[in-house]
Amino acid sequence: MTTPSPILSVRHLTTRFRTDRGIVTAIDDVSFDLYPGETLGIVGESGCGKTVTSKSIMRLLPERTTIIDPSSQIMFEGTNLATADDRTMRRIRGDRIAMIFQEPMTSLNPVFTIGWQLDEALKYHTDLGRAARRSRAIEMLKLVEIPNAERRVDEYPHQLSGGMRQRVMIGMALCCEPDVLIADEPTTALDVTIQAQILALMENLRKRLNTAIILITHNLGVVAQVCDRVAVMYAGRVIEVGGVRRIFHDPQHPYTRALLDSIPKAGRKEHGKRLPTIEGIVPSLFDLPKGCRFADRCARCQPLCRDTEPELLPAEGVGESHLKRCHFPLSQAAPVTSASHAAMTSSPGARP
Amino acid sequence: MIAAFKRLKASRGVGKFCRNRLAVAALGIIVLYALVGGWVALGDLLPGRAGITYAQVEQPVWPTPINGFGIPATNERRVEAARIITREVKRAVNNGEGFTDIRYGLLHILPGTADSDSELDRLSTLIEESEDLYDQLSEFDDLNSPEPPTLDDGAPDPDSIDVPSTIARLEGAVRQMFAPLSGWQSLKQSLLHSLGTDRQGRSNFLRVIFSIKVALQVGIVVAIISVLVGTFLGAAAAYFGGWVDHAVVWLYSTLSSMPELILLAVLVYAFSGSVFDKVSNPWLALVPVYAAMCMEFWIGPCRVIRGETLKLKELEYVQAATAIGFGRFYILLKHVIPNTVHLMFINFSLLFIAAIKFEVVLSFLGLGVKVGPSWGRMIQESTQEVINGIFWQIGAATVFMFVLVLAFNIVSDALQDAFDPKHVG
Repeated sequence: MTTPSPILSVRHLTTRFRTDRGIVTAIDDVSFDLYPGETLGIVGESGCGKTVTSKSIMRLLPERTTIIDPSSQIMFEGTNLATADDRTMRRIRGDRIAMIFQEPMTSLNPVFTIGWQLDEALKYHTDLGRAARRSRAIEMLKLVEIPNAERRVDEYPHQLSGGMRQRVMIGMALCCEPDVLIADEPTTALDVTIQAQILALMENLRKRLNTAIILITHNLGVVAQVCDRVAVMYAGRVIEVGGVRRIFHDPQHPYTRALLDSIPKAGRKEHGKRLPTIEGIVPSLFDLPKGCRFADRCARCQPLCRDTEPELLPAEGVGESHLKRCHFPLSQAAPVTSASHAAMTSSPGARP
Repeated sequence: MIAAFKRLKASRGVGKFCRNRLAVAALGIIVLYALVGGWVALGDLLPGRAGITYAQVEQPVWPTPINGFGIPATNERRVEAARIITREVKRAVNNGEGFTDIRYGLLHILPGTADSDSELDRLSTLIEESEDLYDQLSEFDDLNSPEPPTLDDGAPDPDSIDVPSTIARLEGAVRQMFAPLSGWQSLKQSLLHSLGTDRQGRSNFLRVIFSIKVALQVGIVVAIISVLVGTFLGAAAAYFGGWVDHAVVWLYSTLSSMPELILLAVLVYAFSGSVFDKVSNPWLALVPVYAAMCMEFWIGPCRVIRGETLKLKELEYVQAATAIGFGRFYILLKHVIPNTVHLMFINFSLLFIAAIKFEVVLSFLGLGVKVGPSWGRMIQESTQEVINGIFWQIGAATVFMFVLVLAFNIVSDALQDAFDPKHVG
């Protein structure tokens, strides 16, 4: 299989925040590639750094309190976005890399019509005339399957439903045909039917416009539905990256496995049993363990795990396409020690 | 802005406002004031054809103070007024100077009288009659409560004149000296007299109506400038943060830590030493007042809008605008500030009243309006009258100001109820 060159290549992205309690590292050494036309899912529980990753790429974090480590690289068409100046960023944002947000209710400016807002983006990034921009705006609304686009274009956000607004947001993000679309939990605030529609729409548009999508979500069902590859994050680190099938069928990291186990499944064997959960809590970013960050909650934890943090390395026998950050990946036989026994009995969610 | 207005029209806030009958009535009063003020302002553009000019309000409409609402003045004043007019007309007849100076409101000597012998003869007859009647009346010591003269035996003098009817005849003679007024003109003349006059015989009605323009002028200019400056500074402070925020907050904290009225007085005083004192144009003469008030009044909207912007800038559409690639300044102007329009409206109405009230206070202290009348100046000038029991001028000024301020308070309360999201319910 020949590997095409990635359109967006994130290497060692480290973002820190200045807070009242000192400097905290929100994401640490995050690396992944995004290839043209693919959908990369970034999953993880709340606070693991998914959104910080996406906002670091767009450089949307408040400048005053954010430090992006100088060694970080966010390579996009030969430009390092981590160090690019404001003007370069303004040219790239919206035009080449677009973003849609979680909350469709507040993502549109309430005092302007949606047509005005689409027009504004087109005016900024294209040389189209007024009439051309308007027809393009209507065309975009049709593309995102808004009925009566000619009439809707002059309506205000409060006249649209949540799903409708999210469609408008997607239309706005795609109106300049960007190469990369970052979708930060685009369906979390929508109900399930609308969620499916929006995902199908994004999938459809990705195929038509060949836009690469970074889909940030905590919903593994969404990932299975639309993603080509998945990056799993935990406490500010990427712990596993790989193709969606491999991740779902052959997860290497115990955390990924635990996440998958906690999805309710129709007709699961242990009918009537409690849904497995992951015991414990995510370590505080102010007080990270020396070794593996998942060690405290891991059933397979060994003394080595508590001492040294594993590197993000290829899983055995699959090569570069599946990386994991674990000393004792699930493909290896479980090391049994008294310590892990104790952990296992107290955490029903982790199966050996 | 048009889009914002359209949204405003469609919003339920407008419906809520319209259901508040009192507020709609108050809005009607404000509109009435605005129309009158606008009409008065035309006086400087189309002198003689519309509006009221600065010269007009300074002209006396009667030689002596009179009461409003057609309540007759004391007999003494009525006689005094007749005597003054007779004397003036007589002097003009004798000197042959012409009669253009003799003018009380719309009352004036028929033009061309100086060249017409028959008219001059008629005037002379009237002057004689008037002087004769005056002589008869001067026999009474106290015209206000005349005691019928008695004969030596104490019985009432049968030849004695009746004082009220004599005064009426005297006034009739004086009235005939002037050119007759048409029905419309006499209505206007009685309007000029309707709220009485001040000590110099100037029409309270004209001055109080003229002051509407001054009040609206001060209110609108000060409120607009203050709201715009305050909004911009407040939004910029919150949006950019850092040293911009520190500077703006420091500035308004410092200004607001000083007593309001004293600071205003000092600022007006400071500005008055400048070129504006020498400017005879009454429109520019108010510049020190505007400048002082604006320097103080921007603080209110600035505070409120800074707080609102702190909230707005975290909203996703502001971030989405950044994600589209817009610059920060553009986002501030196009996405943040339009979302504070409701606060701008509310602050405008609050500052409008504040400016009118402070104009009155400053004028009362002799620091505000220096050319032409204003409610504050009228109140200040009426202090001498009040001692003498004449309340027409102070009454007119306070009632007109009270009605406007009350109406504006009602409207701004209703606006707040209708548009402030915290009051929705």
